[in-house]
Amino acid sequence: MADRGRTGSGGGGGQGDVETAKKTRKPKYSRFSQQELPACKPVLTPGWVITTFISIGVVFIPIGLASLFASQRVTEIVHQYDIDCIPPEFSDDTVGFIKSDKTNKTCTRTITVPKQMKSPIYVYYQLNNFYQNHRRYVKNRDDKQLWSREDERSSQDCKPEAFTANGQPIVPCGLIAWSLFNDTYKFRVNDKALEVNKKGIAWSSDREHKFGSNVYPKNFQSGSLIGGAKLNSSIPLSEQEDLIVWMRPAALPTFRKLYGKIETDLEANDKINIVIENNYNTYSFGGKKKLVLSTTSWMGGRNDFLGLAYLTVGGLCLFLAISFILVYVLKPRPLGDPSYLSWNRNAAGILN
Amino acid sequence: METAINIAYACKLISNEMKQFIISSETDVIREVEERGDQVELARVMKEEVKKELKKCLEEAQQYFNTLSGPKLALVIDGKCLMYALDPSLRVMLLNLSLNCNSVVCCRVSPLQKAQVTTLVKKGARKITLSIGDGANDVSMIQAAHVGVGISGLEGMQAVMASDFAIAQFRFLSDLLLVHGRWSYLRICKVVTYFFYKNLTFTLTQFWFTFQTGFSGQRFYDDWFQSLYNVMFTSLPVIIYGLLEKDVSASLSKKYPQLYMEGIRNSFFKWRVVAMWAFSAIYQSLIFYYFVTDSTSTGQNSSGKMFGLWDVSTVAFTCVVVTVNLRLLMMCNSMTRWHYISVGGSVLAWFVFVFVYSLIRENVLYVIYVIMSTFYFYLSFLLVPTVALLLDFIHQGIQRWFFPYDYQVVQEIHRNEPDGYLRAGGLEISNHLTPDEARSFAISQLPRETSKHTGFAFDSPGYESFFAAQQGVYVPQKAWDVVRRASMRSKAKAPLPPKR
Repeated sequence: MADRGRTGSGGGGGQGDVETAKKTRKPKYSRFSQQELPACKPVLTPGWVITTFISIGVVFIPIGLASLFASQRVTEIVHQYDIDCIPPEFSDDTVGFIKSDKTNKTCTRTITVPKQMKSPIYVYYQLNNFYQNHRRYVKNRDDKQLWSREDERSSQDCKPEAFTANGQPIVPCGLIAWSLFNDTYKFRVNDKALEVNKKGIAWSSDREHKFGSNVYPKNFQSGSLIGGAKLNSSIPLSEQEDLIVWMRPAALPTFRKLYGKIETDLEANDKINIVIENNYNTYSFGGKKKLVLSTTSWMGGRNDFLGLAYLTVGGLCLFLAISFILVYVLKPRPLGDPSYLSWNRNAAGILN
Repeated sequence: METAINIAYACKLISNEMKQFIISSETDVIREVEERGDQVELARVMKEEVKKELKKCLEEAQQYFNTLSGPKLALVIDGKCLMYALDPSLRVMLLNLSLNCNSVVCCRVSPLQKAQVTTLVKKGARKITLSIGDGANDVSMIQAAHVGVGISGLEGMQAVMASDFAIAQFRFLSDLLLVHGRWSYLRICKVVTYFFYKNLTFTLTQFWFTFQTGFSGQRFYDDWFQSLYNVMFTSLPVIIYGLLEKDVSASLSKKYPQLYMEGIRNSFFKWRVVAMWAFSAIYQSLIFYYFVTDSTSTGQNSSGKMFGLWDVSTVAFTCVVVTVNLRLLMMCNSMTRWHYISVGGSVLAWFVFVFVYSLIRENVLYVIYVIMSTFYFYLSFLLVPTVALLLDFIHQGIQRWFFPYDYQVVQEIHRNEPDGYLRAGGLEISNHLTPDEARSFAISQLPRETSKHTGFAFDSPGYESFFAAQQGVYVPQKAWDVVRRASMRSKAKAPLPPKR
């Protein structure tokens, strides 16, 4: 390296800045400013790597097994009915069928129970290709209005479903409420009607803190364009559980919402007769409607994803641990071997 | 000139094995012309001489260079010759010669020449230059170099005021470069790459969401989550890291000065390093998004209720905050208690914030209480950060094993040694004092007589000898001396008496 000394500037041995014994200009010592804090200096040795992988594997595989087992025990029946519930004469004018109020929208389906389902059995409706997470849809609500009677005046976010033609506020306002799902399902098994419990289907925090108990629907679905279900204006919003469930916007365009619970057991090979009122218009945007019956476990509905993910990660970690052990045995590198320093590896100097 | 050479020996700039090239203006030829007094002739002759000398030295140097085990080279040149050597026609030769030499000693130079030489190397060799000086005559040199270091001392504060870094003693230069300079480089590289990584992760997770909103621009996270991410939940750990990170301790940095080469080779901020961080960010964002959304597509707890948009995004956000903070801990080479406090504090701040916020804000009301009441949250809270960090962990494991950086090997060599500063009373600047250093430090602490003589031993150019004046011998003022005196703005101090 080209280095140049110069005459005229500090050769060795200055006196430092200790002028007298008392007056010193040394900065005040603190461990923080001198960067001498006690520190833990972990060195990632192969031992640590292998230990970590093994411990992750050992922890994750049982959790994965437990989750997968729980998920496998859940029985789920998914039944798409939107295509089959169109009468054959309307099969090429589905939109016209669904919009007209003269057509008969009742439809009967039969499904078979594959395995025994213990109560409570949850009934969901699943919609495909319905973007509840669209930006303009998500903001189209007024939470203040839902909670208290004093804030009845609809906010601007609710347009176009904010006010009626003569300027009266719509409660609840906004497109989310306006598009409330309105298909209904009635179940019969062995000629006995199954009671669907529609209480307790919404999160209790919503019922108690988001939807007011003194707010009643007003001027709802009063315009010419009906988007969905109508609401009983004598029931306060905190008890309109269908509305509460619907107004929690879903994250993805394919989503399920809880419709109700069936509180009797269903045996295997039972034939369930479902009477569906096929009211909701998913035909104009290519959406699908499905009916889902599902039991639950401590983990929730049927979702193998978590269980499989845990198992996969656990297995992968064990595999990596084994391969690291193999590599360590076959191609060992002694820890702290100075021959790995780059200036010892290159025979010629690096930069001259 | 002899004094200069002696000092260079004392500083170990020149050693006996080195081949010295001396370009001096005290040769007979030049003295002869000087006596004649003709300035124009003098200039011409000097230029010729210098050119000849330079050429000769350069050819010799080339020869030595071509043999593999030639001796090291040193160049000694004095101020008068330098004046001609810096001429545009000879400058290139001077630069070539000096770059081939291990040491170059210039004596009797004026401040202007110091600056000129510095600029010559800076522009000609395109290397990073550092100059160090303590007097007002060093100011122009300090300012000309890339990095100027001033020593605050008895000559006043001019050099300090003009410099980029000021130190108290010359010997602190090794600390400045090898310890603090190196740590600084490491810290800046890591902080910058980490910062881009954490924002990329956070933003890409939202980006994958846009594909499933019909491209309508719906945000995945709540607004305040987004705003406070960089302010409250991830800022403090990286600040603490940038202040306190050390790859090896101070004494080891000085023991292995070759570690400095990592900075010269730019090993921590190459495109490959940046690309690796970016890839890690993309991978992690995919994990965060898809793991969370795929596992929430069915009912979430034993009462079959479903999560909404804000629940899902809060779960994802929690995973992002925790992962990003843990990634910082993975990156640390030395973890002080401030690291733990800041990382733990940031995660805690997130939870405290979301507990309070979800009681106030309408659209995310009670969100955190809802998700924390399900087993799903805890399962995914364990799984998702682990999977996200798995790739980085594997990468670190493989890199450390097969392609270790130099500092990692040094860490391994000294992994079992306790820290030097845990000894009681070790308040020295350097943490480990070798016996020699300890002795010289102890000597320097002895009481000294306060004398004006600082012990500098070198020539001062252009001083009119007291004795010469007495004898009636008049020496004309030299141009560089006039410049030198003009550049000294300090208190009017007479130049030090030369050692004759």
